[in-house]
Amino acid sequence: MHRVDTTQLLKGVLDLACLAALRDDDGYGYDILRRLRMAGLTEVGDASVYGTLRRLFNAGLLTTYVVPSDEGPHRKYYALNAAGRAELQRSGKVWHGFACTMDDLLRERETA
Amino acid sequence: MITTAQDEINLYVFAVRAALGDLPESLRDELLEDLPEHLAEVLADGDGSLTERLGSPEAYAADLRTTAGFVGGFPDPPTRTDQFNEMRDLALARLRAVDLRLGPLFGATRASEFLVLLRPAWWVLRGYLVAMVLAWALDDSGQPIGLLPRIGGSEVVALVLLAAGVLGSIWFGRRSLPLSEWPQRALYAGSVVLVLVALAGFSQADSNRRDANYSDVNYDNPYGSIEDLFVYDEQGRLVPHARIFDQNGNPLRLGNASCYDEEGNYTDVETLTYPYCAARDPFRAPSSAPSASPSWANGPGPVPDSSAGVAPSAVPSVSPSAGSPAVSPSPQVKGR
Repeated sequence: MHRVDTTQLLKGVLDLACLAALRDDDGYGYDILRRLRMAGLTEVGDASVYGTLRRLFNAGLLTTYVVPSDEGPHRKYYALNAAGRAELQRSGKVWHGFACTMDDLLRERETA
Repeated sequence: MITTAQDEINLYVFAVRAALGDLPESLRDELLEDLPEHLAEVLADGDGSLTERLGSPEAYAADLRTTAGFVGGFPDPPTRTDQFNEMRDLALARLRAVDLRLGPLFGATRASEFLVLLRPAWWVLRGYLVAMVLAWALDDSGQPIGLLPRIGGSEVVALVLLAAGVLGSIWFGRRSLPLSEWPQRALYAGSVVLVLVALAGFSQADSNRRDANYSDVNYDNPYGSIEDLFVYDEQGRLVPHARIFDQNGNPLRLGNASCYDEEGNYTDVETLTYPYCAARDPFRAPSSAPSASPSWANGPGPVPDSSAGVAPSAVPSVSPSAGSPAVSPSPQVKGR
C-alpha cells in the first residue's frame, strides 16, 4: 500500500493550494511559496510551486503582471482571474466534500 | 568556482535546462523564462546555496516536469525516433513494392528471391575482401599489394590467405545458428565496410587500368609531351614512313596520330608510320629562309660518336641552319 505522506497528498491539491494562496492577495512565485509554508505546507517544493503557477497560468486561471523591484530583479506577480476564482470555488467544494468523507471515515474507525 | 549570486543562478538554470533537454526548445524556454528571477528571490531570502536549499538541479527539473504539466495545449511534437521510424517504414514499403514489381524479370514472385540465390557468390566475394583487408592491415613491407592479398609481396601467402578467407566466409555463411541481435548488427556493419572497401578498390584498379592506356603509371614520363616522331638515317636524312618496334616486336605508339598542315587544317593520320606530319620536320630549312643547303643536310647532321650520346633532338641549335657537316658537334664523321 502507498504510505500516506504530505508529499503524496500535496500532489493532488497543489493547484487548489496555490489558487487559495492567491485568493486575497496577488503574489510573485517565491511569495506564494512562503505563504504556503507559513500556512503549514512546509514540505511544498520550490519547483512544484513554480511549475504549478506556470501551468495554472497556461490553463487560463491566472493573469500576470510585472512589478519592477527596488533591490533585486523585477517580479512577476500572479493574480486570480474570473476563471481562477470559479475554479477555486469548484475545487474547494470538491476538497471539502472529500475531506469530510475522510474525516467521517476515520472517526468511525476510531470510535468502532 | 561560483563567484557571484548571478553566476550561481546561471549555473543552476543551465543545469535545469540540460535536465529538461528532451523537451522542445520553445517549451523549455517558456517554462524557464522566469526561473532566474525566481531563484534570485530564493537566494536573497536566507542563507545557503541554491543546491542546499532546493536540491539538485536534476531533482528540481523533475519536480518542474511533473507539476508544470503542459496544460497550455502544446501537443508533443513527434520525436526524432518517431520521424526516423516513419521514414524507414515508408522506405521499406516502397522497396517491397519495387521488389514485387521486378520479380517477374527474374522469373520469381519477388526480385529478392533471386538475390537469395546469389548469396553464395557474396560469400566468396566476402572471403576475398576480408583477405584483402587483412593483407592490407598486416602488410608493412611497403610493396604494392596488387589484386591479391599479398603480405610482404608473397604470392604463396596471398593464395593461402585467399583460400582461408573464402572458405571461412562460406563456412560462416552456411552456419545454421542465427546470430543474436548485436552480433547480427555487427555483421551488417562489417559487410557495409567491406562493400565500401570493394568499391574503393575497384575504382582505383579501374583508374589504374585507364591511365595505363595513355602512358606508363609513371607520371614523370619523359615522353609525355611527344607529339610526333622523326627518324633520320646516318646521313641525317629524314626517313619517311618509319615504323618503330620494341624488343618484343610491339609497335611503339607515341604522339598524336593527327596532323595540322601549314594552313592549320587538321587531318587524321591513318597509316600510323612516323612521322605523322613530315612537314613539321624540326631540321627542315625554313622554306622562307634563303638557303643553299643541299637536300641531305636538312637532317640533324651525320651521326655523332656514340660516346657523345647525343640524340638528334638535342642537336638542332647547332646544325641545321649551317647546313654543313663541318659544324656538326661530332668530331668524327662516319660514312662519308
